[in-house]
Amino acid sequence: MSATARKPRTILAPSPRLPGWIGVFTSTDHKRIGSNLFIASFCFFIAGGVMALLMRAQLAQANSAFLTNDSYDALFTMHGSTMIYLFVTPMAIALGLYLVPLQIGASSISAPRVALAGFWTWLCGGLVMQSGWFASGGPGSDGWFDFAPLNNATFTPGTGQTMWNIGVILAAAGLTAMAWPLVITIARRRAPGMSMLRCSMFTWTELISVLMVIASFPVLILAMTGVLIDRSGGHVFSGFRGAIDYQNLFWFFGHPVVYVMFFPYLGAAAEAIATNSRKRWFGYSAFILAIPSFGALSMAVWAHHMFTTGGVTNQYFAFTSTMLIIPAGIEYFDAFGTMIGGSIVLRTSMLFAIFFFIQFFVGGASGIFVSSPPLDYHAEDSYIIVGHFHYTLFAGSVFGFFAGIYHWFPKVTGALLREKLGKLHFVLMVIGTNLTFAPMFWLGQWGMPRRIARYPTHPGWMPLNRLESIGAGIIALGVLVFLINVWVSLRRPVAAGNDPWHGQSLEWWTTSPPPEHNFTEPLPPIRSYAPLLDLRHEAEDRRRAQQEETPA
Amino acid sequence: MRGGAIPLFSWGTLLLVLLIINLIWAGSQIQSEMFAFAVTAVYATALALSVARPESLRRGPPVRESAPEAVPRTSLAAMALGISMGAMMFGVVFGKFLVFIGGGVWLLAAGRLVVEVRAQRRSLRGEEEER
Repeated sequence: MSATARKPRTILAPSPRLPGWIGVFTSTDHKRIGSNLFIASFCFFIAGGVMALLMRAQLAQANSAFLTNDSYDALFTMHGSTMIYLFVTPMAIALGLYLVPLQIGASSISAPRVALAGFWTWLCGGLVMQSGWFASGGPGSDGWFDFAPLNNATFTPGTGQTMWNIGVILAAAGLTAMAWPLVITIARRRAPGMSMLRCSMFTWTELISVLMVIASFPVLILAMTGVLIDRSGGHVFSGFRGAIDYQNLFWFFGHPVVYVMFFPYLGAAAEAIATNSRKRWFGYSAFILAIPSFGALSMAVWAHHMFTTGGVTNQYFAFTSTMLIIPAGIEYFDAFGTMIGGSIVLRTSMLFAIFFFIQFFVGGASGIFVSSPPLDYHAEDSYIIVGHFHYTLFAGSVFGFFAGIYHWFPKVTGALLREKLGKLHFVLMVIGTNLTFAPMFWLGQWGMPRRIARYPTHPGWMPLNRLESIGAGIIALGVLVFLINVWVSLRRPVAAGNDPWHGQSLEWWTTSPPPEHNFTEPLPPIRSYAPLLDLRHEAEDRRRAQQEETPA
Repeated sequence: MRGGAIPLFSWGTLLLVLLIINLIWAGSQIQSEMFAFAVTAVYATALALSVARPESLRRGPPVRESAPEAVPRTSLAAMALGISMGAMMFGVVFGKFLVFIGGGVWLLAAGRLVVEVRAQRRSLRGEEEER
């Protein structure tokens, strides 16, 4: 065994294990916190999805009276807020909390109590936000962005909106609290031999994501605190300057969060592609140079959301936004380079990963529209924007999320998901996603504004809207198939074993599901970012050498 | 842990460069302040890591650490801290009584957290003495 192999350190567990649900809810095991966060945010995903279906039901017909204007405003606000603050972002952190310590060979996370407190703070935030549905006047209804002056008590009265603000503060504080332990864990708890340049792609994407959380989420908390003061009669964001200042503060969170919601799923797709191509990830060095550059640039593009306000320097933000194409292009080259010459296995995780890249390309390419001020002036407030960000966050991130789920489900549960159901889920998702979001580009081009509860009879609008509503129904069906798959796979489990896919990173070294402190066996030598692939190659080389030595 | 702070410093420096370009090109006060906060937050994290473990600035793979580590299994205090924060904030709109209850629970939880951390340190010391 090489010098890097080691026995795990002695681990003391000073606090007792509590029985039953209390034990589950108070566990400081990173896997339990990650699982709890996963389950809670998936429940919010279902809730957000139901809201989307209601909106699509309203928009299926011109001049529909299915929902009132106020109900529609509440639904689109809560749909966006639920998906962003309570599903995609926390899910990205949940995957990190569960998988990063396993991938870097750590027995636990640093500061697990901070992560646990963060989880509960975030959950309370989610519940407070959703409890706005029971408030008189309904929940928050001025969009997930809560722009000034719409966010003050004059234009959006009611406790539901204040609860929304409080919910956002709590959720952001909780997510920040969960991000810190991940940064410290990656920095301090890597296994012997695991240098930063040997960390897996997923770990790198998580690192940059959580750094972006730390750098940008406090600004959101500050903005929301200002809004709360305004709602109590203060004048933090008053006048034109106040509105511009609020937008600066909000988008300083609002754009980086898009990448917080993207990077970990990119990492998941990268892991799925490398494993299912049975090949080392191509261009690793370029990848880990591109990811931090991508992250840094994405911290500097926020005001491209504000081109039309006339309150920002458009040239700087157009420049930084356009620069994003360089690191993004590198990711694509790496993904294709990995697949070229690989022995590709088209498992469900691979299909989702490939379509993550294909569909995100549509989101990215339409992003060029909105990063260029003259084109953005044309597209602003039209359905083009809705199509763009849904291709980024749903057709991109959610596909990366499902790639990760199909890839790591056996590790987490010890059971394999059913491939046939998985492929049915995939097909429904591809059809549903493209039926729902592609027509939005045409609708936007034909002048349909976003955030409207009803539209007049207009040639072309209703057929496309109806198509989108059918697509949304197909997505819902796809998610239902996924839930059935999970249920069936857990009810009648097919044992996965430690490493069903011939994985490349350290999480596949341990049992499925992993034990309390992750590794009971000494870790293998870590000489690259794919230590298990190295082991297999070494074994193969040895076998070949033996065959050559054996006389015929 | 070797190398842990280096990516943070590097990333902070990338942000700093973009901040400087923003300052020269755009020169907006609020934008510079927010951006400066982000740079400071990243540098502060990197600095804290380097001060706590100076080897985090050295390149190369981490070496084996033989000292035992204490990992808590559960923490009622951490859960109570999170929930009490939620209760206090919810109390702002729901009723002051929740703010007071939340505040009380928060204090109890903070006290319990101190007890938990001290017990953890004690068990580590005990293990080291045994060795």
